[in-house]
Amino acid sequence: MLEVRDLVKRFGALTALDGVTLDIRAGEIFALLGPNGAGKTTLIGAVCGLIRKTSGTVKLFGIDLDQDPVSPKYQVGLVPQEINFDPFFTVSESLFIQLGYYGKRRDPARVTEVLRALSLDEKASSPTRALSGGMKRRLLIAKALVHAPRLVFLDEPTAGVDVELRRDLWSYVRKLQTGGTTIILTTHYLEEAEELADRVGIINDGKLLLVEEKSALIRRLGEKKLEVRFKQKIEGLPEHLWSAGAVLSADGCRLSYVERKGRPSVGEILRLIYAAHLPVEDVETRRSRLEDVLLLVLRGAPKPEPASVPAREETLRGDELLGLAVRDK
Amino acid sequence: MNVIGTKTLLSKEVRRFLRVPGQTVLSPLISTSLYFVVFGYSLGGRVQEVGAIPYIIFIVPGLVFMGMANNSFLNTSSSLFITKLQGTVVDLLAAPLGPTELLLGFIGGGMVRGLVVGLLTWAVAAAFTGFRLAHVLPTLGFVIIVTYVFSMLGFLTGLWAEKFEQINFFPIFVMLPLTFLGGVFYSVEALPEPWHSISLFNPMVYMVEGLRYGMLGSSSLSPALGASILGVVAVVATAFAYAALRSGYKLRV
Repeated sequence: MLEVRDLVKRFGALTALDGVTLDIRAGEIFALLGPNGAGKTTLIGAVCGLIRKTSGTVKLFGIDLDQDPVSPKYQVGLVPQEINFDPFFTVSESLFIQLGYYGKRRDPARVTEVLRALSLDEKASSPTRALSGGMKRRLLIAKALVHAPRLVFLDEPTAGVDVELRRDLWSYVRKLQTGGTTIILTTHYLEEAEELADRVGIINDGKLLLVEEKSALIRRLGEKKLEVRFKQKIEGLPEHLWSAGAVLSADGCRLSYVERKGRPSVGEILRLIYAAHLPVEDVETRRSRLEDVLLLVLRGAPKPEPASVPAREETLRGDELLGLAVRDK
Repeated sequence: MNVIGTKTLLSKEVRRFLRVPGQTVLSPLISTSLYFVVFGYSLGGRVQEVGAIPYIIFIVPGLVFMGMANNSFLNTSSSLFITKLQGTVVDLLAAPLGPTELLLGFIGGGMVRGLVVGLLTWAVAAAFTGFRLAHVLPTLGFVIIVTYVFSMLGFLTGLWAEKFEQINFFPIFVMLPLTFLGGVFYSVEALPEPWHSISLFNPMVYMVEGLRYGMLGSSSLSPALGASILGVVAVVATAFAYAALRSGYKLRV
């Protein structure tokens, strides 16, 4: 679908993209995350023809953009980060113009369908300058989708869009995916990426730090926090609890525990607490969200192992076999 | 070649200037009409005839030229500049529109505005002087190439400009003096030396004289020379614009 190899973009002394390599699979929703100025928009710009890359290659649908920068664009839609609108035209005229740019004939049914999907149908004949900020943002999305592209870039699609409409947009994006559209999105709302993305890529200082399945990433780097409040003060924790990693607060009224890979589960800790007859009043658990994981990665959390999961299982089995062999001796 | 895309851009460019006809069509028409009335009637009384042509008729081709050149230039320069300014240039860059499609759309839009203003100027003049068209094909040829060349120059200016002020640089500091000194209101032949020889370095002189040949049937300079100069400018400007669009000059960072 999209192959980016060793993509570099320099603006004078600033390296905005520093050797980015990325493959986007057909039909996925890919979220590109990172702080402001990390290179997300530059990466999208280099693929969509807004930016002249310094080096590297970009292939869209198997076509190298250096060989043919125009024809792959028929199948691409872009929601740019900056709101833009042409004050000379109405909402529906803007969409007809956009359809035409992409080589499609005037199709009022399609324009109506897209306007309805983005709750803009009542504004079809309003001049674009009369739209509110959120409506202008939705018009940008409508413009990116009206020609039914196979690959859509959504650069901050819901900035300034209210909560209810954001939910509507999410369900529309999921509907697009069901219809076979591939979606690449950047967002400041981590909730959005968590809700929509199949895979996430984390970029900082122009470098792609990792690309991983969203759920695998949260599993790998995420934590589950347990907070237990006691009815009265406890004089120290039983040994098996503190050796497992549970911590008692200074006032002796609260226990906290963080479940990570390789440590006992929260359920196991709870079992130990009840077995010790501690006077539990309230239990609260919280699972890490993508936001927590993103911060960890930006602070230098380890990347996933290069070997795939089955390969790792094989290694484990090998170790076990070796262990058996040693024991057999 | 994206034919529908090109047609869409061309029709958008035309509708854009038709949305504000007071500014894009009517105002140039009024200013050229004023030139016509003021110069034609006030001066015309004293000058009487230029080379056996009544003065008021003599200035018509120059005024038509001015209307066409200015408006073709203004349409492409301001449209492209505003597109850059309001950010909608992203739509053009992301769309499957290559240099050919972009040039055909923008230049076509500028040419249509130049032709509309030129035609209306001519119609206003004809209301005073009666229709007069000596050579149809040479006139048509000059009209097309003049609007093309100035649309292209406007496009290049719009591409280059980063401030509004720069859009006006070429029309005010280059086009206006060269046009006024280019034989719109007088015959270059009548100038004393050294002004006559100096004037022959002004390319506008040949363009105005070429159109004068087409419309009035006679001119003091060879129309072929005018056509050649316009042809050379057209080829050079097109090559520059094409190369600039291919490289992404001032459009893609």
